[in-house]
Amino acid sequence: MEFGWAPEQVQYRERVKAALDDLLPADWDETYVPESYASDLQVQFSREFCAKLAERGLLVPHWPKEYGGNESPDWEHFILGEEMKAAGEPRGPQYMNVNWIGPTLLKYGTEAQKAQHVQGIASGTVIWCQGFSEPNAGTDLAALRTRAERDGDHYIVNGSKIWTSYARTADWCFLLARTGPTRKDISILLIPMDTPGISVTSFPGMIKDGHLNEVFFTDVRVPVANRVGEEGEAWTIVTHALSYERVGVPRYHTGLQALELAVEQLKEEGRWHDDPIVRSRAGSIAAKFEGARMLTYLVVDQRVKKLPSNTDANLSRVASLEAVIEMLNFLAEFLPDCLSGGNALLEDYYRINIPAGITGGTNEIQLDLVAQRGLGLPRG
Amino acid sequence: MDFQLSEDQEALVSALHSILQDHAELPQAERFGYSCFNAELQGILADSGFLSAAREIGPIEAALVTIETARLPVLVETAATGLVAPMVLGEAIEGPVALIDGKAMDKAHRNLPIARTALVDLGEDVAVLAIEPADVEPVESVLAFPYGRFRKAPDLAKARRLPGAGEALRQWWRVALAAEVAGAAQAAIAFTIDYVKQREVFGRPVGSFQSVQHRLVQCHAHAQSCYYLALRAAWSGDPVDADCAASFAQQGVQRLLFDLHQFHGGMGVTTEHLLHFWLYRIRALQAEAGGVHRIGLEIANRLWPDAPAAAQRMAQAG
Repeated sequence: MEFGWAPEQVQYRERVKAALDDLLPADWDETYVPESYASDLQVQFSREFCAKLAERGLLVPHWPKEYGGNESPDWEHFILGEEMKAAGEPRGPQYMNVNWIGPTLLKYGTEAQKAQHVQGIASGTVIWCQGFSEPNAGTDLAALRTRAERDGDHYIVNGSKIWTSYARTADWCFLLARTGPTRKDISILLIPMDTPGISVTSFPGMIKDGHLNEVFFTDVRVPVANRVGEEGEAWTIVTHALSYERVGVPRYHTGLQALELAVEQLKEEGRWHDDPIVRSRAGSIAAKFEGARMLTYLVVDQRVKKLPSNTDANLSRVASLEAVIEMLNFLAEFLPDCLSGGNALLEDYYRINIPAGITGGTNEIQLDLVAQRGLGLPRG
Repeated sequence: MDFQLSEDQEALVSALHSILQDHAELPQAERFGYSCFNAELQGILADSGFLSAAREIGPIEAALVTIETARLPVLVETAATGLVAPMVLGEAIEGPVALIDGKAMDKAHRNLPIARTALVDLGEDVAVLAIEPADVEPVESVLAFPYGRFRKAPDLAKARRLPGAGEALRQWWRVALAAEVAGAAQAAIAFTIDYVKQREVFGRPVGSFQSVQHRLVQCHAHAQSCYYLALRAAWSGDPVDADCAASFAQQGVQRLLFDLHQFHGGMGVTTEHLLHFWLYRIRALQAEAGGVHRIGLEIANRLWPDAPAAAQRMAQAG
């Protein structure tokens, strides 16, 4: 058991940071980050940024060599993710492409699908959106109602998706649609977003612009050749696909960075040195994020060792959320003006994290899974 | 980064377990007490080298011994004796060892009735006090350690003094308390899971209610984080890691005590039910080595001192 970084991992982190220093514009923090990574501005920027990242071998380093990767170790992939998130995720929506859409196509896609999509993802120029959630199917994804009915060599898709981040600017949609009568008769279709019959409506909300979109499908014709895997196989494939994302966003990393910013702000305002209450709270929150970090690294270590999947990833999300909640409370209590024009970066952190316990499966589902599958408690 | 025990560490834990299995039973006569120190087991652990692990192998191995022994309902003193004292003194001293806050000499101290040596935190320095049993008056406490106070204030001026060792004492005290909380919390949670699977109310197991499940998982998350934070702090020897481990451990005491008691209902407040042996050890550790607010303050002072460059430390540590 040991808790240090290997020298090559330290070097890798430095390499990623150096790339960020080189590739991000001088006004990145002032102009881009406050807009949030789903904004049209950042999505557009991601096409330019990810292409350059690809040139440096830092977009899909974990992929197989034949598809543009370098088969880099899992820890390096994780370090890359930490640094990108800490920088405000300049990959925009393309973190999804490289983390799970691309790998899913590599594993389950046809040769034609790989030829059509993989190069675009690996070169950092294509934007995808994820057509999963619906008004009545969020965490309970299998309740989705969008239908795809067979019509010769096409499917006819009708229905709607919601909370579809990046839908306004996406080139393609990775869609889940119902293709049969039972709860898990769901299939995956890859749909160009400019297909006739697709419309996107954005709506306002508490989180930043670009995340809150509704996508309507009206008699949208999709070739059967655009289906990934067999009909009704989506559940298996998506479970595998999202295993790439098991631990989710490294919230301890972004959280500690926000805490750092908050401390700087408090120091500037002269509200740090003479106030043991605020300092003690900040120190306690740092400890909470460190606790969350431990459980996240535990999961990465298990993945590196190819150990069987368990509920530790769900547990890490529970721990991260608790620390995030304390951080949001800290901001609201000691720097409330960050939500009224006082600090754009802290406002961005706060607003992105309003749904931290909802996105990627609610906290309650994580708790259920650990209770029943991890601790062996009986179902109610 | 490697979160699994090495083969040698597995062997150490396995050898320890085989001793604990044979010698850690709670005597029937002690079952209703608030704490039960097992002097025989303490001697066996000392004689078989488990309390020398910090000097002979390393602090992470000593922390593992502390965690594993903290899982027992009976008490043995491994935290101060096997981890803190060797790391502060670098030499063997007579145990068991008690850790004492020098600003509260007249109060009752944890483990004083069983101690042969006490390390007294004097701020800058540390005093090493030899303890004679006759000098200690036992004090009854609901906290699950033996407590006692000095019959007469010891003469600290005559005690051996370790100049400048105060900070190291507090650092390893914090690692040790986090390790003890981790082991005791994991054991209390395992005990609770067994109980709520069997105990039925309204025709179904207590553990099938979502309100119980969710809170148990939150307790479990806390204990697991505590375990790895304590071991990381032992591994690194970094004062911030030690502070984070202790702060995290102490921040969760309120939840552990309230929720785990709740899930055992009325049984949990009887002394025949064992739960108190773990929970009231955790409670006793809540205020030690500074307590959660002071430790939080020290984390902030270390992470965000005046020099802005130092403030980058934790984010960069990754």
